[in-house]
Amino acid sequence: MLARVANNLFWMGRYIERAEHVARFMNVNYFSSLDAPNQLSQSRQFVLRSMLFMVGDPVYDDTLELDEESVLFDIGLNTEKNYSVISSIKTARENANSSRDLISTELYESLNKFYHFVMNYSKELFVKTNLYDFTVNVTEMTAVLRGKIRGTLLHDEVYAIIMLGVNIERAIQVTRIINTKFNDALMAQGSYGDPIGNSFEWSTLLKCAESYDMMRRLYKKSPNSTSTIEFLILNGRCPRSFMNCINQVYKHIHELDKKVEYDKGSTAFMVGKIRAEFEFKQIEEIQDDVQGNLDMILNKMFKISENMEKEFFNY
Amino acid sequence: MGPDTDKTIFSSYVRKDGLFDEVFGKDGNVKSVYQKLLDLYGARSIEDYVSLNNKAKSSFFNQGITFQVYGDKQSQEKIFPFDLFPRIIDPKEWEIIEKGAIQRSLALNHFLWDVYHDKKIVKDGIVPIELLSSSPNYLHQMMDVDPPSKIYNHISGTDIIKHSDGNYYVLEDNIRCPSGVSYVICNRTALKRALFGVFNHYKTYTVTDYAENLLNLLESVKPPGVDSPVCVVITPGMFNSAYYEHSYLAKAMGVELVEGRDLFVENDFVYMKTTQGPVRVDVVYRRIDDLFIDPMEFHPDSTLGVPGLFAAYRKGNVTLANAPGTGVADDKAIYTYVPDIIKYYLGEEPILKNVHTYHCSRPDELQYVLDHISELVIKPVDEAGGYGISIGNKLTKEEIEEVKIKLKANPRKFVAQPIMSLSVHPTYIDSKESFEQRHIDLRTYTVLGQDKQFVLKGGLTRVALKEGNLIVNSSQGGGSKDTWVLKQ
Amino acid sequence: MAGLNCAHMFYEYEIDYDTQNSYEKGLNEAFWQFMVIPEDNETQEVTYWHFENDLGERNSVSENGLGFKTVQVRSKKVIDHIRFNAHFKLKKKEINPFDFDLPMNLNDEIEILNSLDFKVDHEPYLRKTRLTALPEQHRDIFLFDSNKSVFENLTDLNYWAFGHLYFKVGVTDVNTPLAEIIEKRHGVCQDFTHLFCAVAKNNGIPCRYVSGYLHQGIGFFGDSQMHAWAEAFVPNVGWIGFDPTNNLLANHNHIKVCHGKDYNDCAPLKGVVYTLGDNETKYSVLVKTAEEQQQQ
Repeated sequence: MLARVANNLFWMGRYIERAEHVARFMNVNYFSSLDAPNQLSQSRQFVLRSMLFMVGDPVYDDTLELDEESVLFDIGLNTEKNYSVISSIKTARENANSSRDLISTELYESLNKFYHFVMNYSKELFVKTNLYDFTVNVTEMTAVLRGKIRGTLLHDEVYAIIMLGVNIERAIQVTRIINTKFNDALMAQGSYGDPIGNSFEWSTLLKCAESYDMMRRLYKKSPNSTSTIEFLILNGRCPRSFMNCINQVYKHIHELDKKVEYDKGSTAFMVGKIRAEFEFKQIEEIQDDVQGNLDMILNKMFKISENMEKEFFNY
Repeated sequence: MGPDTDKTIFSSYVRKDGLFDEVFGKDGNVKSVYQKLLDLYGARSIEDYVSLNNKAKSSFFNQGITFQVYGDKQSQEKIFPFDLFPRIIDPKEWEIIEKGAIQRSLALNHFLWDVYHDKKIVKDGIVPIELLSSSPNYLHQMMDVDPPSKIYNHISGTDIIKHSDGNYYVLEDNIRCPSGVSYVICNRTALKRALFGVFNHYKTYTVTDYAENLLNLLESVKPPGVDSPVCVVITPGMFNSAYYEHSYLAKAMGVELVEGRDLFVENDFVYMKTTQGPVRVDVVYRRIDDLFIDPMEFHPDSTLGVPGLFAAYRKGNVTLANAPGTGVADDKAIYTYVPDIIKYYLGEEPILKNVHTYHCSRPDELQYVLDHISELVIKPVDEAGGYGISIGNKLTKEEIEEVKIKLKANPRKFVAQPIMSLSVHPTYIDSKESFEQRHIDLRTYTVLGQDKQFVLKGGLTRVALKEGNLIVNSSQGGGSKDTWVLKQ
Repeated sequence: MAGLNCAHMFYEYEIDYDTQNSYEKGLNEAFWQFMVIPEDNETQEVTYWHFENDLGERNSVSENGLGFKTVQVRSKKVIDHIRFNAHFKLKKKEINPFDFDLPMNLNDEIEILNSLDFKVDHEPYLRKTRLTALPEQHRDIFLFDSNKSVFENLTDLNYWAFGHLYFKVGVTDVNTPLAEIIEKRHGVCQDFTHLFCAVAKNNGIPCRYVSGYLHQGIGFFGDSQMHAWAEAFVPNVGWIGFDPTNNLLANHNHIKVCHGKDYNDCAPLKGVVYTLGDNETKYSVLVKTAEEQQQQ
């Protein structure tokens, strides 16, 4: 496969995944805040700040009054903001355009339809009444895309590259979501004195990662900080967990690098090392310094992405 | 649904006298090849038709089968306009077209070999030397280069019209990078979905095997000594108006679609940059113009091409299809000589006729053109895509004067032809919600390989969508139709 | 061959071509093509070559579209300059520029020049390019004398061009239009050569631009540039080299590298670099005789 095209496919995977997480985060946070148990979590300003924090555009000035419609517009449909859902979809399609000869007609068609759907979505409706409709559609369409990726592509190098993009991005986004909700939980605790371990924000977090139901099934009790973080980071069976993502990355990197003994500078070696480390990690080790650990995970994922660029996409 | 209550498809179709209608004879009777289609569809309501047509259109849009028009401020995506009413060509007429197109392509290939070697045709006084010496597409770098299998114009697009006399005429040859073939296949796909009931009743040749056949022929012209050649399609990139076609062809052939920056040349071999390191490339189906393929040899500022590619080609280490320098033979001034070229190399009479052409470079013919502009079509010799064409009977007095000034200033740049009456075909017009007569032509695709050649049994019927307009190019607002070639 | 008094005069040259290109903003990927290798022909033979670049990249010898040897260097590292050096040893025959029979019948010459075969065979070098098309207003700037042979006319043209322009460095570049050169009457060897070619072609004589090295005299040292002169086709004789910058016929001091329609076919360095900033090119040429002469 052409190195340039591989790079584009990798980023197509990343942007599709990114769009989904941003859309779901908006949806879950906005709607769960409406009947949140404490006042801060119910506060619209709190929710908007949380959304901006998650997409990497945090507002630190507490006195600033955020305008709901413009924040929603920025994150959803503002093409000028590179973190918006619309920008992600645009970039994903651009990347797909340059590799149309490699991906299936079905996948391209779904992505193209998705693109036209987002491009033609009324801004007015979106910021006033249709937040739910828009975000649900986005998350559903990304699920369709994932299905097309899995179901219509040859499971070869092309597929591996896309799945590497998807899983690296998922690990990054889930980590960011955990970080954001952890931050929210800290703030909610500060205002109302709820113990952080049992904050309402943990349920929201699980819903943001589409993992709430399964988590309840597994633990059979209300989520607290320990069980939630354990589930989302270390449980390899949870499809959204960091552990699962790194397992997937490990599996797919082998499609690109088929050597039996890996060069110590290779991406495959790096991924294997991270995976081994987390396979035997205990939640207690993380709990001591949640934010420090989350930062470390993010840095590792960025390193993997950087290394891949050097090793496979350097054209 | 019943024909009594609704408007049927042809209830408001007006046939103008003097136009050659492909579907209806002079007496208004349906021609035999279309009879079945009209039996099956003619009684349907226009609403039925519209709903089918819209479905097909949105399918094109969703699949991203779109193009960009030059000159738009914002690059807008448009689908190539088409309708679901096919053009049908009967086997006897097709035989003429097919033989004629192959004859023409072979003769032009001989011509290219000759002008890049001994130039006998020029020394024998058949083709004037000025046509070579004044052509920017005559590349000296190609002198004495022997392309693999001696083939220059691997892929030719021949534009053919049917005149009101019922005969086919060639309007122009395109042997640089003829485009449009992906639309032939897309149109067919759309028609099969929408009109599957009709296909049962017609024995139509398939067009979907084009890419497979093309790949076979490209592989047959591999450089000597290569066993299983690696072929690629090279495109100027995503922002090229024909990008969809480039990606379609690469996908359908199962080869890589590369841009210039994906390739490099070392020691006169061409490589592509892959995730697993460099991979040698043997055959390049290029969709980049000659002058942009290699900045070392041609336009120095172009970054579309690959530095060193031409040296690798000259050395015989890579095949370029089409060969560089083919443009000298599809110059509109050479066009006039094609009948002589056919006779000279093949000793045959041309099977397809030429439209009579006046060369403005010849003083007496220039004078005739200046005196008869209103009856002629004036074409620049080196523009593609229908740009720069003036149609005499559509010009105002002031415009005629302007054209005269241009002709006098640079006569070599122009040729003129009588205004041909292209045949018309019922075409669905969106804005009128009805079928109307529109002028059409036919672009055929001829592929030459080592000892074998073929013409795609179908081709692109292009439609001039503006009423009375004769320019069918997509960049000029033309549409297209699926074209059925019937089996004997 | 003992007993035969057969003496061939040879000159042996050593040529050193050195260039450094610097790129202000640096670059990731680049491709350079050097056209600096002397051609092998009847009068000269390259006996040794050596190429070096300071990037550690491979120097590949290839050929340009007209069959002249080139050296190609490709780099995909992040760099801010390239230094390239070529070193040649070359044997050059003593040339007597007047070593042909002159003149043939004037009418025969004209008949040949006007024949279709001749025009077809020499089409590439009768074709006018942007740099070698005589501007309309200067069409008659130098007319051939119909009472003289082609060779005599070309010699006159050589002398005229030498006198019409005065040599001045830095006032013209490769894009200066011929009209400006004619009107301002100054330039460098490229400009002399383009003017010569333009007038010759305008008079129906095939003429080509030659790029090469000039040995500037025994014992002459110092930096020098690549030189340019013209070759015109004289019926029944062949291509003859004229050096209008020096009002000379090309001789054993003229070491040919390549020819083409004009400078653009012969540029010593062509490069494709992916960078935004400015770049600076420096180069020097040194030609010296290895030994005065050698008798065989």
